[in-house]
Amino acid sequence: MTLSSRMTWAISLLATFCVAVIVHILVVLTIPLNVVHSAYTDVGSFGPDRSFNLLPDVKPGDEPLPALDPAMKHASCRFSLADGPVLFTAAVPSPFWSIGVFNEAGEAVYSLNNRTAGSDILSMLVITSEQLSILRENPPEDLDELIVIETAPMNGFALLRAFVPGKFQSGEIETALKTSYCGGL
Amino acid sequence: MTALPKLPRPHQVLFDPKTGKPVNVEANWYDPALPRILRPRRGTPLQTLVLLCLILLAGTLVGIATAFLMIERERPLLAVNIGPWSAHPKAGTPEADPYSVAIYTRGARVPLTTGEGLSLTARTDTTGASLDARCSYRISGQTPAARLWTMTASDAYGRLSPTLAGRESIDSRQILRHADGSFDITAAIRPRSGNWLPLPAAPGENSGLMFTLRIYDAPITTGAALDGVSMPDIVKVSCP
Repeated sequence: MTLSSRMTWAISLLATFCVAVIVHILVVLTIPLNVVHSAYTDVGSFGPDRSFNLLPDVKPGDEPLPALDPAMKHASCRFSLADGPVLFTAAVPSPFWSIGVFNEAGEAVYSLNNRTAGSDILSMLVITSEQLSILRENPPEDLDELIVIETAPMNGFALLRAFVPGKFQSGEIETALKTSYCGGL
Repeated sequence: MTALPKLPRPHQVLFDPKTGKPVNVEANWYDPALPRILRPRRGTPLQTLVLLCLILLAGTLVGIATAFLMIERERPLLAVNIGPWSAHPKAGTPEADPYSVAIYTRGARVPLTTGEGLSLTARTDTTGASLDARCSYRISGQTPAARLWTMTASDAYGRLSPTLAGRESIDSRQILRHADGSFDITAAIRPRSGNWLPLPAAPGENSGLMFTLRIYDAPITTGAALDGVSMPDIVKVSCP
């Protein structure tokens, strides 16, 4: 059987459209698998893992990570839960600070700010279920005061953001971020 | 003398009574009077192959081009739009749509998470015209309730550029407000009285302009719906 030329055109266009849709979906879905550098790898360039590293100030042409707020100072800490649970403690003298914990894919695992933390001092423990059951057998005294985040075993990073209300507080906040603790219990 | 074998009689040549052209009796099984769909198919493999290749090529090109536009221009369909402002409240969570995931992982961006705040971006003014870094704009109105917000001017890709003031943002703690809590911000290259948001001092030819409003510790980031919140209007004041 043969088709009229109009029918051939219509079917060709439909086929082209279907191929385009499939290719579009494939491209969008495979981009995350093919990225050259992720936020996780970039954060590792600011200093050693398992300690808070102060990110350089967000300045034009010299942004440590894309799309950061220039009104804030940032500190990051990269960790792997395979090396043991990670404890975060910080006391930042800023009217607003927040911390986000992200996995290797850049998805948020947990986040809080100084109001939801309930106190001006951050003390947070990221731990796997297995490590927590081991820890419960011989718990440290201050376990009740910690915010305990139970997750699957993962590599990840935390980003601590602190608002700088003016130039005078800049140094103070910088010192507080530098002395923030990220590491083992 | 032997008799020559009798030669076969040549085919009788018939003539089509209508056209007057000769008709080959052996080949007239291909009857053009049959409806097209019943006519036997004569394969044209090369033509079909070329057509298939063209379909594949065009489809692939269109698919890649549309994906590139969606990702590179960072305007996914699934953003939440309030006037000129758009946000990806689910970016960086496991429920994020595939476009947000692609944009954020490709840019190695760390999103503002729900417990921290929400970032809204505007690339157009309230009338829908693209923002131009050489013009000045008035941003007026109210923001959703928040403990703190900052507004930043950058190019269309979110990169900061040097400004005359040495700052690229203005925040809710330094802003002057009207009695009803609303505010007017003038975004311009040169200093302005009142609330001045400095724009890039030397804007590039096609770098574009984008305003980013980051609202920190706001109820709308922690569950409450985004519809019906009031966002500031962006109105063009003047252009050189």
